[in-house]
Amino acid sequence: MSTTTQTSTETGTRAWTGRAMPRKEDDRLLRAEGEFGDDTPIHRLGHVFFVRSPYAHARITGIDVSAATRVPGYLGCLLPEEAASLTEPFMEIQGPPEGAEPEVDRCLAGGGVVRFVGEPVVAVAADSREAARDAAAAVAVDYEPLRPVVDARDAVTPDAPVIHAQTKTNVAWEGLYDWGDVEFALEHADHVISVDELHFHRFSSTPLECMVVTAQYDPGTDFFHITGGCAMPQITTLMMASAMRHPAERIRIVSKDIGGSFGVKIGMYVPATAVALLARKLRRPLRWTETRTEHHYMGGHGNERWFRDVKLAVQDDGTVLGLTYEALDDVGAYTRYEPLGAAIWTQVANAAYQLKHLKVRYRSVYTNKGPVHPNRGYSRLQHMWVVERMMDIAAHKLGFDPVGFRLKNYVQPNQYPYTTVNGCVYDSGDLPLSLRKALDLIDYEDARRLQERARGTGKRIGIGIGSTLDSGTNNFAQARLINPHLPFAGNTEGGLVRLGADGTVYAVTGGVAFGQGHETTVAQVVADLLGLTYDDITVHRGGDSALSAQTGFSGSYASQFAVTGIGAIINATRKLSHEIQLVAGAVLGAAPEDIVLEGGLAKVRDDAERALPFDAIAGIVHFAPGSLPPEVADEVGLVGRAVYRAPFELPDLEEKFGNLTLTYATQIHACVLEIDEETGQTAILRYGMVDDCGTPINPMVIEGQVHGATAHGISAALFEHFGYDADGQLTAANFYDYHAATAYDMPSLRYDNVVSPSPFTPIGAKGMGEGGGAPLHAICAAIQDAVGDHGMILDSYNPPEHVLRALRGADAEKVKVD
Amino acid sequence: MTVADHTTVESPAPDVHAIEVVVDGRTEEGTVSSRTLLVHWLRDELDKRGPKIGCDTGNCGACTVRWNGRLAKSCMILAVQADGTEVDTAASLAAEDGTLNNLQQCFKKHHALQCGYCTSGMLMTATDLLESGEEITDRSVRRALKGNICRCTGYENIVRAIRAAAGQDVQKPHGHEEGEAQ
Amino acid sequence: MILPPVRYVRPQSVAEAASLLAAIDGAAVLAGGQTMINALKLDLVQPTALVDVHRLEELRGIEVADDGSLVIGAATTYAEIAASPVVRHHQPSVADMAAGLVDRQVRNRGTIGGNCCLNDPTNNFPPLLTALGAWFHITSTAGWRSITADTLFAGSLATALRPGELLMSVRLKPLPEGTRIVHRHLQLAADSWALARVVVRLDVIDGRVEDARVVLGAVPGSPLRLATVEQALLGHPADTRLTDAALTAFDEADVETVGDAHASAAYRLEMTRVQLRRALDDAVERSVAA
Repeated sequence: MSTTTQTSTETGTRAWTGRAMPRKEDDRLLRAEGEFGDDTPIHRLGHVFFVRSPYAHARITGIDVSAATRVPGYLGCLLPEEAASLTEPFMEIQGPPEGAEPEVDRCLAGGGVVRFVGEPVVAVAADSREAARDAAAAVAVDYEPLRPVVDARDAVTPDAPVIHAQTKTNVAWEGLYDWGDVEFALEHADHVISVDELHFHRFSSTPLECMVVTAQYDPGTDFFHITGGCAMPQITTLMMASAMRHPAERIRIVSKDIGGSFGVKIGMYVPATAVALLARKLRRPLRWTETRTEHHYMGGHGNERWFRDVKLAVQDDGTVLGLTYEALDDVGAYTRYEPLGAAIWTQVANAAYQLKHLKVRYRSVYTNKGPVHPNRGYSRLQHMWVVERMMDIAAHKLGFDPVGFRLKNYVQPNQYPYTTVNGCVYDSGDLPLSLRKALDLIDYEDARRLQERARGTGKRIGIGIGSTLDSGTNNFAQARLINPHLPFAGNTEGGLVRLGADGTVYAVTGGVAFGQGHETTVAQVVADLLGLTYDDITVHRGGDSALSAQTGFSGSYASQFAVTGIGAIINATRKLSHEIQLVAGAVLGAAPEDIVLEGGLAKVRDDAERALPFDAIAGIVHFAPGSLPPEVADEVGLVGRAVYRAPFELPDLEEKFGNLTLTYATQIHACVLEIDEETGQTAILRYGMVDDCGTPINPMVIEGQVHGATAHGISAALFEHFGYDADGQLTAANFYDYHAATAYDMPSLRYDNVVSPSPFTPIGAKGMGEGGGAPLHAICAAIQDAVGDHGMILDSYNPPEHVLRALRGADAEKVKVD
Repeated sequence: MTVADHTTVESPAPDVHAIEVVVDGRTEEGTVSSRTLLVHWLRDELDKRGPKIGCDTGNCGACTVRWNGRLAKSCMILAVQADGTEVDTAASLAAEDGTLNNLQQCFKKHHALQCGYCTSGMLMTATDLLESGEEITDRSVRRALKGNICRCTGYENIVRAIRAAAGQDVQKPHGHEEGEAQ
Repeated sequence: MILPPVRYVRPQSVAEAASLLAAIDGAAVLAGGQTMINALKLDLVQPTALVDVHRLEELRGIEVADDGSLVIGAATTYAEIAASPVVRHHQPSVADMAAGLVDRQVRNRGTIGGNCCLNDPTNNFPPLLTALGAWFHITSTAGWRSITADTLFAGSLATALRPGELLMSVRLKPLPEGTRIVHRHLQLAADSWALARVVVRLDVIDGRVEDARVVLGAVPGSPLRLATVEQALLGHPADTRLTDAALTAFDEADVETVGDAHASAAYRLEMTRVQLRRALDDAVERSVAA
């Protein structure tokens, strides 16, 4: 496989890249001078408040806004019929089922039906936050409740109410993945471990800043100016443009500082469309500031998934042959980014192991719950969790040492690049070394002794390993696995680096950071390529669709910035370098290729006397182009704009075979926890993470991402659950009921790393940050280790009650060994 | 639900109040309605970006300020209650010329912030802890931070930064080189 | 989140506060606001006006009365209680509880009176104050009265306070020599609300239980006294058999638990029993050690 760029070593220096540079973002944030969604003051700003459904499933029988119109400050509202007439339904990845209409997904409840608690029904605008709240509270909506479907397993039964009448089924997408010959493997394996059902629960990274959308409409130019934490600006633009029948180039999307996204803010286009329509209708700049409660209703949940009829084929010597299961993925009331999750998991089909046979029947299923959005580890962590659970259960049931069993089945260092059952190519790694380091972090031998000593004390010690991959840089052709008519293939990101009129450097990336430190890492790379210092580089904060740095796939998702974002910046900087060389060569009378960039100067190689500072070059190009040879003056604008194209081919859609991801960072976690035998309470005693994301750009930032992903995983495994009751009411609609771990809940984290450069990327770096949900795997394994094989850990959520049930033998009967 | 008609209800409790509050050392005057939360007044009227809103239930602590020297969450205080008091936000921490104070520098050095949304609240709580004279340990810092949620950092580096600000020798960020430029 | 329309008034004295509470239909007392403001945001309460008593000096402060009782003003904050050497000396369990409540910020604002008047079943003080046999001094334009914790706490989110009444102070009589107070709870996380809560008070004289209170929190009807258990403890030797005697007397039918997103009713009930046993064991252990 070839790469499209040169490495930065062509300039000979790596003065900044690879170092733990303090972040450029920090000063403004520490001084409380950042600018988040709700920070921007705007003249005559009106506020939007949504009237939301209190029912999980109901027909709307009447809407009366007359009382709202009498609230002082009321500006206007948007009703479902109006939204329906002004918009097309949002684009859907799956398309309609054969012979059926598409589901109706609009910015307000479509088709006269609400489909989850918290679904927006009416958007109300007023001249203050208070008036908007009061006016929305004065809107009367009458409902005729319908029977809700809360459990995906019920949703696929013949008598289940149908959530989208047009599609006539609650199955949004269905497909079979069948690689190798799993039937043969199961038939001939020495052992088959069977589990009736496992469940991966619903949670979300719940960014601390909820969504904020500010929409301004300029009738003079027919332009929408949208500001908000937009994690995927061009796709968002496209979704809004097609829905609003408005040219995409007349929608400008700007983000500044973003208080976290972790994927879920990709769903911004839905409420943003309502706000934009109202802003145009009322000719007022409008802002919608999502509350925490609203965010928990519809800000995006991670995919909940049922794994049924799971079978793992294992040999006597511990070799794992293959795996099969049926997946019911609960996507909630609307597909939105789904059913892409039905393809995304296949990026890590093998998980960390040398599986040869894999067969999965996958269904994406509607329920009357909040729609799922991509959430940190999106769709891969569910699959990797079930693989890790099965590995762990097999080790327990067959008496294999959990360490040795994993070491034996891991993809081995000498096998890279390793082609998986479905044609994905694992680029590099050293899983055995990573595991050994992780075990060192928790002092594994000592932990086993601790475990022995705890026997009979009322406490139990469990030790668990979580092996996971962070697949980064999507091949969007995988969307064709879901719908072959989709035009997607490959992936790009954009970048722009320019030399301003005074010789200062400004860089813009298409990636949109929400805490990952893009300004920092971009500056490190650009400084090296231009021979400048880190402080010389100014990096644009956030994203701006008008700055031409973006491509269609731009944004921050799928662990890719270190590859795509940095790749595009490298390419853009090279273009700028080339222009600087052209100008300096012309002025200094040297060949452009003999110009080197160093110390803020463009110098003739091996001739210290002949050099031009960057400000002189900028001055000549911007203000004295007449002094340059025409062929140089015509070519240079001192703006390097480039894309990075990830080298992908189209997969074979029949076989569902091909490379879907460019890089695979790995994370191995190990933990020691203690369980109170009487209460089921767990306490994490030691926690270690070993990360391998190739060549680091900023090791400090990488460690921070690993810490953050670990906290999400630990909190999800033990505390966080978007549960719904039988009526479809969300039981964790705020941070009181949804317990996001605090510092007091968290153990100290011990970090180490391995560096396996990627052979496929510009500087050997791999995308990272999502973390693959390793703590969920490790904690489940540790609880299982403490329980023994008396009870079985078959759910990813393990609050004290679940642990206590396991100690008493729960679910043991669901696991069989043949 | 019904909306109170602001013009006709007669009540000894007024609906609008003039307030005067010393915010970050400067006397600020304003007119607020009874229900206006302090956090909204600070943000919407004074453009104070330190206090942030991250929840509806007083759990997240992003709005933490010091009120008459005591740590408090400004989402659970009415603006009118602040009349005649002093409020300090995170904007008061750095020097006039923007130079970061010791705690802020430790946050930067130890990578104790990512998206930055919780940071102002964290800084206010940490300042209060460090000035309290309480013993600073890993556990005591974690306990002090109970009322501040961060969804990015996993807290590890925040705890280290606060301990470093207390003069303790803590683990440096991965890849840190001695004598690294700050 | 924006509050619904509500008016605000800050009286300068308790007398004025009482008049305002009497004059304004639907007025509510605003003390620390650490529950009230959130309840307003979430539309859980609908007062017409808030009468802010937080700054009233008459409602603040900690003192020891002539009879040795500890009197804590209703608007005294958790932080003030936690920091008070007087509380620490007279009622260490109250000081401990105040010091551990919620978080640093909330401790600076939340008041013991507010905690009691809202009587949320997850609140910490009502079960403890019930075990301590606290008296509550209440005023209104109609006069004043003092009621016991058993009377004040009238079930989840309910109290015996009548419209227009204002809680002035909490009075705690000195504990007899040999009294053991143990508070135990079980949480989802190191830092979350309780799934089960038990407060046990044993007054031990000459090795026998002279008086006992066993109070549950985090259950409907909280704080809930377990009369049969208390009865079984009376006169019982304060030794290791005490726990068994109490558990034998514990009738699960006396306790109704409800399930939610975090735990089932059955688990909560079982954990209540576990916490009860542990609390009793602790109490006996301390009693023996003493």
